[in-house]
Amino acid sequence: MSHNEITMEQGKMSKEKEQGDTPLYFVRLNFNERVQHMIFVVSFIVLAATGFMVWIPETTLDFLGGAKETVFTVRGVLHRMAGTAMIIVSAYHFYYLIFKRAGRRWLFDMMPRPKDIKEFIHNMLYYIEVKEHPPEFDRFSYKHKMEYLALIVGTGLMSASGLILWAESFWDKFIIDIAALIHGMEAVLACLAVMVWHMYEVHLRPHKFPGDNMWLTGIIDEAEMKEEYPLHYKRIMSDPKLRKIYLTKGPKQDE
Amino acid sequence: MKLSLYFKLAVVAFIAVCSGAGAGFAQSEAAPDEENCLICHRYPNLGRYDEDGTRRIYYINDVLFGNSVHGEARCKGCHTDLDKIPHDEVKKVDCATQCHIKEPSSNLDFSHKNMVKKYDNSVHGQAADEKKKFPEDLPTCTYCHENRSYNPYEGAWGKSAALALETLARCQACHTEKAWTEEIYAHFTHRMRRQREQDEIIRLCTSCHENEEKMTRHGLEAVSTFKDTFHWTMVKYGVENAPDCISCHVPVGYTTHEIQPRTDPVSPTNKRNRVKTCSNQGGVQECHPGATADFAEGRVHAYGSKVQLLTAREAVIAEAEAEDSVMLIRAREEVSDEEIFHYKILSLIRLVYQVLIGSVIGFMVLHQLLDFRRIRKKMKTEGTHH
Repeated sequence: MSHNEITMEQGKMSKEKEQGDTPLYFVRLNFNERVQHMIFVVSFIVLAATGFMVWIPETTLDFLGGAKETVFTVRGVLHRMAGTAMIIVSAYHFYYLIFKRAGRRWLFDMMPRPKDIKEFIHNMLYYIEVKEHPPEFDRFSYKHKMEYLALIVGTGLMSASGLILWAESFWDKFIIDIAALIHGMEAVLACLAVMVWHMYEVHLRPHKFPGDNMWLTGIIDEAEMKEEYPLHYKRIMSDPKLRKIYLTKGPKQDE
Repeated sequence: MKLSLYFKLAVVAFIAVCSGAGAGFAQSEAAPDEENCLICHRYPNLGRYDEDGTRRIYYINDVLFGNSVHGEARCKGCHTDLDKIPHDEVKKVDCATQCHIKEPSSNLDFSHKNMVKKYDNSVHGQAADEKKKFPEDLPTCTYCHENRSYNPYEGAWGKSAALALETLARCQACHTEKAWTEEIYAHFTHRMRRQREQDEIIRLCTSCHENEEKMTRHGLEAVSTFKDTFHWTMVKYGVENAPDCISCHVPVGYTTHEIQPRTDPVSPTNKRNRVKTCSNQGGVQECHPGATADFAEGRVHAYGSKVQLLTAREAVIAEAEAEDSVMLIRAREEVSDEEIFHYKILSLIRLVYQVLIGSVIGFMVLHQLLDFRRIRKKMKTEGTHH
């Protein structure tokens, strides 16, 4: 997989593009996935905000004045509502992975492979400038796979511990203590990870800063596709079936 | 220490009184000063610095005193040794003194001595436990009873002043002596509602119980362990009926004056009374109506210094042993093996998460910094392309 080959091929394709004259766009998240993501984002933000309110120091709460109690009640209700939404959308996601064709493709592409370790090492070498070019990532790189695994484990732990705390009277106090501890620690871990890993990856990288709208439109242009996911790009371009799935006309027609 | 506290309380009461005067109790007439004490004590600047350098205020505001719970008592009813002027060697007031108020049901001289006796046998009392080594740490009557002389009307249930006035109007329909009715009304309703908000209770109890040094010498855990609980979160947000110290330690049916250690079978926090304390306090307050024994018998406060001491390094335990530490003795008596096991598991989980958060987030930050640096560099070298 020499770099020259890639550039040659990319060159050829951009020629094709020039000839065809219509810019190419690629589906990164389909409509169903974007809705799932949106529900998850909203519930995540609500959960984090209403959850960490439990740890606010008492003096900081003074500005709320007499509204404190109402705020606390609403906080609890919102937290449980958002938690329920997150559990439902996560359960749906498992349904999606098994029973929908796009979901099965997602799961297949998301499976960890030995290649990911190689790519990780390659990418590290690229970062420290031992290698001149980054690895050729497929649809999901090691970054996505690690995050996705963390997401599943994290959501599972948060849901289970959250449900235990919700139904506290049923349990041994020791179980509740464990659930409360895990719920708090995992929350810190999850929020930090989302900020450092996910937010940086999708919005804050220098060429994307200050924000990327892919999570809303679901599509990326050809240049980005070639830059970030060259292997996936090649696979799509060389397979008519994949072209049908991933190629799309443009941002306007998509919605 | 004690004197300065009295001073603080006096100042607090004084400020509260000054700022609050005019509201609440309609200015009823002051108690008649038959003993002529006010001839001197009416002067606001009357006071001195005592031997310890503590500022003592001897000023009495007759209106506020007259409206206070002791407004009907004569000065000498409590200050029994004030025969000489100027006064010398004034003793502290003993709340068990028989004053010259008549107790209405028996018509005998009134005294708080019943309550004092009960209190002395409680966990806070002087008589409770011969082993107590630091009697000066124990709270006396006035430590908690600040006797805020200014006591506005509030409804017995909730805070509707309108309800209070409506009830009072009914009383006054028959009891035409207005000042007397107001006083009796205040006397009853005072006992029908909480005198202090939850955060005030917590501030009062923690004024001693949060003091690590003081607690350690009595073999007690500092009560910061409460602030690690969800009960505290509710208090912090001012939730009505949020559980404070007395909600569990003095639930419905118990009195603050007779608190016993949790090892005592009568204590509401004793394991065999816990289900009732958590679930249903005499049908009045139901916090955890579905509480099972498994739920209620677990630890409520976060694990504190006792279990930490028992699981500490051997050198630390040996040192405590050498010091004949009360903490270690009590920890060995009170902390069960099961609790030690639970504590260890929880500590392990916390440690795992701390390591996990440190390493995972550390790795992520490093990875992203490298990524950032590499992209910036690439953008620079490509220059015009971007």
